[in-house]
Amino acid sequence: MREISIPRGTPLPRIRPWLGIAAAASFVVASAMALFWAPTDAVQGDVYRILYVHVPLAWLAYLAFVIVFLASVGWLWTKRPFFDAVAVASAEIGVLFTGLFLVAGSIWAKPTWGVWWTWEPRLVTTAIMFVMYVGYLLLRGLSTDFSRRATRAAVFGIIAVIDVPIVHLSVLWANSLHQLPTVLRAAGSPALDSSMLLTLMISLFAYTLIYAYFMSARVSLELARQGRLWTT
Amino acid sequence: MRTVQSSASLHDATVVLDDRVILRAVSVAVDPGLTLVRGPNGSGKTTLLRALAGLVPLARGDRRVAGDILYIGHRPMLLRGLTARENLEFFVRFRGGDTRGIDGALRAWGVGEDMDRPVERLSAGERRRAALARVETEQVPLLLLDEPFADLDDAGVSRLRQSIGRARDDGRAIVVATHAHPELDDLARTRIAVDNGAATAS
Amino acid sequence: MIDRIGLVAVRELRAERRQPDGLVAAVTFIAVLVLLESLVVGPQIARDPDVASALFWLALAFATILATMRSFDRELEDDALEGLVALPGGRDALFGGKVLSLTIVLVLVAAIGGLLSLVLLDLPVALPLHLIAVVLLGVLALPPIVVVDVVLALRLRARAALVPILALPVLVPQLVAATRGASAALSGDAVGALSWAGLLFAFAVVYTVVGLTIVPAAIE
Repeated sequence: MREISIPRGTPLPRIRPWLGIAAAASFVVASAMALFWAPTDAVQGDVYRILYVHVPLAWLAYLAFVIVFLASVGWLWTKRPFFDAVAVASAEIGVLFTGLFLVAGSIWAKPTWGVWWTWEPRLVTTAIMFVMYVGYLLLRGLSTDFSRRATRAAVFGIIAVIDVPIVHLSVLWANSLHQLPTVLRAAGSPALDSSMLLTLMISLFAYTLIYAYFMSARVSLELARQGRLWTT
Repeated sequence: MRTVQSSASLHDATVVLDDRVILRAVSVAVDPGLTLVRGPNGSGKTTLLRALAGLVPLARGDRRVAGDILYIGHRPMLLRGLTARENLEFFVRFRGGDTRGIDGALRAWGVGEDMDRPVERLSAGERRRAALARVETEQVPLLLLDEPFADLDDAGVSRLRQSIGRARDDGRAIVVATHAHPELDDLARTRIAVDNGAATAS
Repeated sequence: MIDRIGLVAVRELRAERRQPDGLVAAVTFIAVLVLLESLVVGPQIARDPDVASALFWLALAFATILATMRSFDRELEDDALEGLVALPGGRDALFGGKVLSLTIVLVLVAAIGGLLSLVLLDLPVALPLHLIAVVLLGVLALPPIVVVDVVLALRLRARAALVPILALPVLVPQLVAATRGASAALSGDAVGALSWAGLLFAFAVVYTVVGLTIVPAAIE
């Protein structure tokens, strides 16, 4: 029987303010570049600028869930409560970013494709991922016991993450058999020139810092909550 | 044959269930012979047995067991839809044992007439008797019985006493948790008093 | 290990034979859905291979959830599940045994439900053998996920709502593949039916292996 170790202090609170400042500063720079510096797209016009929000959100959505997966494996392997704190923090933040990604996707789809929602494989996969992680948080919310909650959530987290690429492939294959309307195919990602690419990279960096900042705050909160639990 | 190692032991075991500490830094060792676990309702007797059986995760501490365990909880743990005989056969086969003794054991426990009826049609007392017949059909070195007297009539109690006495003479370790019944007091070698999540042996 | 899985499966099937609650609930559910479908969308649309397959597999997914939950409800009466888990190796055999026995129950459910669909909707079947292959492999692909999710929701409040919420998104690939495969078999696309059937087999293998590996950790 493995021991559940009692969490001790972490260096997180010390670096968090700096992380916050760095995240805020790079977000301002990325937004300014995206809105004013990057050139207007020849085909889509200014609407394409939502790309600088959409792509980083997609990246974070997937990053957050890979972290949930790793933390879930970590918990099942070591039973250290730290991993459970990371898993719940990443899942909550991931749900937030996935939700924003779906909203941003709809906002982009309306002017480009003329509809709020299309059955484009990436959108469908992300929507299903969103539902899975709402289920993940629901499962956590309904479980009453700490170690039972962590274990059950970890098992579901692992299965859900394994499922995401399979969902994507199955939707892709199902769609390739049924012809997609050509308008959807024509409007792929616009070709990016070098200044667009640089803006995108900086946006990705800024959003990753935001994720890291949120994570450090949420993980500390969870560790503090666990600490209260062990002392009572 | 005398072994130095106990049949089962918990060392510094803490169990947290539903965010409540149920057992607090408990260390107990169970040796061959009868060990009685006593304590008021809600003191942690059941959790102590379940911790020995490996059915609850330990928040801290560790558990050692020397061999296979038979745990019978305060419900009979028989699957509805199967007969008493089928249930016992399942347990014995799962352990890779011999199923020939099952009829005899069920008859000795007074469920001979009803052993081929689905367990949901047996009375609570008959189900308890069928469950307790596992003490004889599954020859494992450590028995953990939680409130085995529940639903038993006088004849059943004396049958249980006899069965535990024989298991003790065979050199098996038996742990019985009960809040009242003094029927086994004279057979017991060790007593563990559980109160508010702490255990003291005497 | 294999014999133990077999023992758990036999125990389950015996109980199910004597009290066929899961089977009856699942079959009734599918029959009612097929009837409702033809009434609601009209027999003309209901006979479309895509529509008929989609409805059949959605119904079968719910039927799997019903049968699995019923099976675990029976385990919780009198703490029978604990009797199994307390046996040496019981934790490891539980998942495999349940998946095996539920697959057998579901083959029956799918056969009855499928025949009902064919008769009630008067569906023409272009490739019957392909259809049987798709249905068998589809039935193999559903229980591993559902058993995991029912185990995760065990003893939780609101689990009747939680299990479909957990299981259905994860089942999307299985349902897509099974629906496309069945529809291909109904409409005479042999290559399509076989490739989707192969995919279903791969899903069944992947999730059975994943389940055998991590489910023992989820049982207290």
